[in-house]
Amino acid sequence: MSNFLKKEGEEAELTTPLHAPIKRRSFFMYAGATAGATALLLSGCDDDDDETPAAGTVSLGSGDIGVLNYAYALEQLEAAFYAQVIATPYASMPADEMTALTAIAKHEAIHRDFFKAAIPAASRIPALNPDFSSINFSSRDAVLGAAKTFEDLGVAAYNGAGSLLKSPDYLLLAGKIVSVEARHAAYVRDLLDNGSFAGSDVVNANGLDQALPVATVLAAAQKYIKETINGDNVGK
Amino acid sequence: MNLFNIISELEKVDPEIMDRLSHRRSALSALGSLGKKMALAAAPIAIGSAFNKAVGQNTLNTANEVLNYALLLEYLEEDFYAQALAAPTLAANLTSGSAARGAIQTIKNHETAHVNLLKAALGTNANPRPASFDFGNAFLTYPTFLTFAQAFEDTGVRAYKGQATKIQSANQPAILQTALQIHSVEARHAAHIRYMRRGAAAGGQSNIMPWVVGKEANGAPDAVYGAGNPAATFPAEDNITQATLTLTTGLGATYTAADVSAAFDEGLDNTTVTTIARSVVTF
Repeated sequence: MSNFLKKEGEEAELTTPLHAPIKRRSFFMYAGATAGATALLLSGCDDDDDETPAAGTVSLGSGDIGVLNYAYALEQLEAAFYAQVIATPYASMPADEMTALTAIAKHEAIHRDFFKAAIPAASRIPALNPDFSSINFSSRDAVLGAAKTFEDLGVAAYNGAGSLLKSPDYLLLAGKIVSVEARHAAYVRDLLDNGSFAGSDVVNANGLDQALPVATVLAAAQKYIKETINGDNVGK
Repeated sequence: MNLFNIISELEKVDPEIMDRLSHRRSALSALGSLGKKMALAAAPIAIGSAFNKAVGQNTLNTANEVLNYALLLEYLEEDFYAQALAAPTLAANLTSGSAARGAIQTIKNHETAHVNLLKAALGTNANPRPASFDFGNAFLTYPTFLTFAQAFEDTGVRAYKGQATKIQSANQPAILQTALQIHSVEARHAAHIRYMRRGAAAGGQSNIMPWVVGKEANGAPDAVYGAGNPAATFPAEDNITQATLTLTTGLGATYTAADVSAAFDEGLDNTTVTTIARSVVTF
């Protein structure tokens, strides 16, 4: 966010209530993000009325808002996953694992709800429908294996998206969340294999965690989301 | 006292000292407002002040300053784990082939890699390693060592987080991404060290979670989890407000302060980080 915009007092946009009128400058900032949705609506107005215009496709939008929607999508996925883990715990889940996984479920729900509250309603993606049909929730290995996938992917996503952000406020917020995801990742990995908290499959020889592009992350996450997610313009 | 010897010595630990002395407004005004003899007498004070800025200045203005600050923290962490692995007092716990030694060695290797990476990025601008780090009683017992380790890792996470926007504003996206990639590795280390502290021989701290709950220090210095400066940007770890939203009650669901605070790690400014480091380490 430029200083110019800050002088206009627009830094409060992050907390704009859902019902607040969109200021004109904000509208132009978000116009890019909503363009895809508008195109979908318009396509329903042409002659081919029986054509289903990309039903179930969700565009994350562009610019910083696109990055926030990207994070919101991933947090929705994680929150739904851990909610299921806690609702149907694997056999003989030890008390300390229940305690920790319940805490993680809360963290992810808080992240999800935070993004939902912070992203202006006009640009925010809808609630997504998860598809966890490939995960056997009665198996500890399967659940913790999926948790590892989600957490490592989340860390790599935030690490890859940080430099796409223009707003310092959003960057600091992303930084506050990603290290918590990394703590989750380390914990889940240690449960599966003590000492694998920063294994060489995620931390390279330079001591660097993964940083993945949006397209790579979405390709990996897509199988767990019923809607088709389009992140082509995230950060652009 | 030979002024040029002093400057020469300082250059060894701070290659940018001459830049700082000749270009910083504070140094110029300090020297310029005094007579020549007075200036010479005052010079060591001005130099000392400029030198302090190398590690304790309020604002790190360039990417190189941020990287040298990160390098100092990585030097510290690397040396901390190297000393631990060699400490006779810890030998019974960090036995060869044990999970504990394996984990500490993994972490030490990452810190070494970070040192090398930052030195390579800085090239000739890299500050040299301090002559020594004295960690006091850190290695007296295994639980003490892990308490220090938790303090360093959690502080490291906060330190990198606190610099992200500085690198962003320097328009260095590649450096920003690298810093973020180090940042999350430090968080993995912190989580594991916290996990280790649950062990009976490690102090049996069965209430410690891999994440930071409230501003509970678990025996580490309270400042590690306290507020930085400015506190509005760098609040204490028990913060429950993000982007002006009170997350315990403002999200349409009710969440505990413990869960909300743990869901977000807070950043810390470099001055507060340096003060914390110097409170437990002599270097």
